[in-house]
Amino acid sequence: MAAVKETIDQVRQIDVDQYKYGFETKIESVKAPKGLDESTVRYISAQKSEPEWLLQWRLEAFQRWQAMTEPTWAKVHYPKIDFQNQYYYSAPKSTSGPKSLDEVDPELLETYKKLGIPLKEQELLAGVQSSRVAVDAVFDSVSVVTTFKDELKKAGVIFCSFSEAVREHPELVKKYLGSVVPQSDNYYAALNAAVFSDGSFVYIPEGVRCPMELSTYFRINEKNTGQFERTLIIADRGAYVSYLEGCTAPMRDEHQLHAAVVELIAMDDAEIKYSTVQNWYPGDKDGKGGIYNFVTKRGDCRGHHSKISWTQVETGSAITWKYPSCILRGDHSRGEFYSIAVSNGYQQVDSGTKMIHLGKNSSSRIISKGIAAGHSQNTYRGLVSAHRKATGVRNFTNCDSLLIGDKCGAHTVPYIEAKNSSAHFEHEATTSKISDDMLFYCRQRGLSAEEAVALVVNGFVRDVLQHLPMEFMAETQKLIGISLEGSVG
Amino acid sequence: MNVAIPKTKAEQALTEAFAAAAPKLPGSAAVTAARAKAIGEFGAIGLPHRRIEEWKYTDLRVQLKDIGATAVDDATAVSADDLRAALGALANVDAHRIVFVNGSHRSQLSALDGAKGLDVQPLAAALKSVPEKIADGLMRATGPKSDATVALNTAFVSDGAIVRVADGAELTKPLMVVFLSAGTTSRLTSVRNIISAGEGSTATIIEVHASLKSAATGGQVNALSEVTAGKGAALTHVKIAASPNGAVHLANWNVTLGADAMYKGFQYTSGQSLVRNQTHAVYAGEGGKFDLSGAYLARGTEHIDTTLVVDHAVPHCESRELFKGVLDDRGRGVFQGKIIVQPDAQKTDGKQMAQALMLSPDAEFDSKPELEIYADDVVCGHGTTTAELDADLLFYCKSRGIPESEARTLLIESFIGEALDKIEHEELRAALSSYANDWLGGR
Repeated sequence: MAAVKETIDQVRQIDVDQYKYGFETKIESVKAPKGLDESTVRYISAQKSEPEWLLQWRLEAFQRWQAMTEPTWAKVHYPKIDFQNQYYYSAPKSTSGPKSLDEVDPELLETYKKLGIPLKEQELLAGVQSSRVAVDAVFDSVSVVTTFKDELKKAGVIFCSFSEAVREHPELVKKYLGSVVPQSDNYYAALNAAVFSDGSFVYIPEGVRCPMELSTYFRINEKNTGQFERTLIIADRGAYVSYLEGCTAPMRDEHQLHAAVVELIAMDDAEIKYSTVQNWYPGDKDGKGGIYNFVTKRGDCRGHHSKISWTQVETGSAITWKYPSCILRGDHSRGEFYSIAVSNGYQQVDSGTKMIHLGKNSSSRIISKGIAAGHSQNTYRGLVSAHRKATGVRNFTNCDSLLIGDKCGAHTVPYIEAKNSSAHFEHEATTSKISDDMLFYCRQRGLSAEEAVALVVNGFVRDVLQHLPMEFMAETQKLIGISLEGSVG
Repeated sequence: MNVAIPKTKAEQALTEAFAAAAPKLPGSAAVTAARAKAIGEFGAIGLPHRRIEEWKYTDLRVQLKDIGATAVDDATAVSADDLRAALGALANVDAHRIVFVNGSHRSQLSALDGAKGLDVQPLAAALKSVPEKIADGLMRATGPKSDATVALNTAFVSDGAIVRVADGAELTKPLMVVFLSAGTTSRLTSVRNIISAGEGSTATIIEVHASLKSAATGGQVNALSEVTAGKGAALTHVKIAASPNGAVHLANWNVTLGADAMYKGFQYTSGQSLVRNQTHAVYAGEGGKFDLSGAYLARGTEHIDTTLVVDHAVPHCESRELFKGVLDDRGRGVFQGKIIVQPDAQKTDGKQMAQALMLSPDAEFDSKPELEIYADDVVCGHGTTTAELDADLLFYCKSRGIPESEARTLLIESFIGEALDKIEHEELRAALSSYANDWLGGR
């Protein structure tokens, strides 16, 4: 009976811990000794044959980190992290510089295939330009492969792993590294600066519009391993780039730490669009396991008329602590933040943005949609500030929260600071549950309770969805459906 | 932060002032013990500073400098005409009246002509004469835990009004509680009101902080009101802090609403150098309605902070807040509003709005409207805006032949008017409009 089977399948699907990326890849790896001290930092630096200046930079960060204390202001609760009881570096053994995809461990390729990420450079089909995305795949601590390199090179775009950038373009790395997020910016940024292993590096030269979407895919595989990657994107004068980031991890009982740093720099008239679909393992239905996602993301609109836009879909991680920010330094610069944060089970999300207006006539827009279900806690925390001399700045903020079930919480903590009179700030926030009328209407039209919720929620987040690149839109819609499964009835 | 921070001059002065004033402050042994405990607590926590989240925008360690002489057993001569002059437009409001000068009750200035169902007593007398247990209760504050302004009030309180509205009583006239600053020495005045509206009663209480023109500048007022609205009571509570002598004004309102009670609060503030209005509201029964609004006007380097926490712990309650601020020169407005909805407080309806109008390029407005929600069947929202006068509106007025300065005044009046409209008592609303107009006229 096909219908019966379908029902059984559907029922099986309705389980909180239906995390479909929870598989583990059996692959040999090289790891740094457990624990963290100066020698760990030196080990990582040596593994990557880094120049002396970078090692010194790391050590400086490590010293600063030791003097810092863990932040406790966020609305998240977790047992104290034992920083000595984990590995800070892990690399798949066979990746000592593959020249082409053929040399990459087939297990790895298989992993990415399972995740639905094409690492093969597909031949271009006539007229289907938008389906091409250049991918940099990061597995545990190292970058595995970067696709479409030659074609990007022709356009003058540099897109490579961070280690490669340190080797090939040290002058660029030296100039921009830490210029947006300094080593001692905060506890986790300092930790990252000390032990970061790899990540992506993008440089778009003057006047170039990057010919395709760039994408990085992060995967934590190894047990007891923290992932600390660093992304640096520079769009020179008049350049444009759209960058996508995705992440997954296997299902494990223990918590794993992910502390990344992303720095974006937009010069005059440049534009960077940064999209994230964060789908780290959120823990099982009892709140066991899951990733601690403590990330520092910041963009610097350094030039006038520059623009940085963050779009994020947060569905994973046991704990999210993440505030992608824009420093609007240039006159007439623009910052945007579009966010969907979905939490279920025992997830805790404390996320939001900072729009720091320093340039005259700079403007920003924040649209944040939080959806809390199960026993989760979902907090929006944001700052909008106008400097005394930043005249004519504008901001519009809208943060809405939706509550599904009576065991979850949704919180809004905005800070709005106008230090001059010409600042024009508007902020509005609402919290409500899905209206029974809406659900009843959908049910009446033959939709199941689950489908009705998914429909309403997708309508609720539509404002943000439309800012996602095509590649992510379909995936996100499905993801939101999965994340909310089991939250009704 | 457990790091030992050196005491500021003000902190030192406060501790010393207490030691000097303690023997003169009214009260039985239990009261004296409560005072000693409170000053001990203050000694431990010190003045709040910007590293404390609730005081992020108002740093008393930096902003509170000189401490005046402790006001106790004051005998400054004040005539009925002086009082009338100090009240200005408010003198026209027909009301029962209890008057305090520099934190001490003055029966000859008061007018409490036996209203039915209204009992008003000065606190100082009660602290001396009531049994210990009750005196202890009078010294207890229900608001925020370990707060320096509350601790200081408990330590220094010299007088205030105990107001009881009997069950079912409907007061036709409002009660005006007037706190007057007078004399040529600047003082530290600490007062406390204990207001309880009985079941099903209706009352309006107007708390006025004013000063004589001749009064010294730079005084400090610490005023705390413990308010309880009984089941089904309808209580209106208006506070006006508008002394022209640039005093520091630290106020706490702790409000408890019974089932189906309705509380309408309003805070008008102008002419103060440093203000912190803290309100803490809790619901004791279902169906409570809490409505707090306010208007504040700041110029020079005045700093006006409105902080409120509405804690919805029971279902079916409502809360509304509307605050409007006008900021001129280097004036700074702060708004921190937090609505908490506890896990079982279903069907909560909460709305909050804070708006600031900036008249000068150097003005500053910091806003932090928070929602903390643990129940799903709720409707909660907040909004906050900050902007200059709308150039289009100004242009429209000018195109109709209204001179610019007049047009500006008109627009500011209408901005403030939205908040003032929340006051139902007509004479009172007119009086506050005239206060606001006087302030605008001084521009």
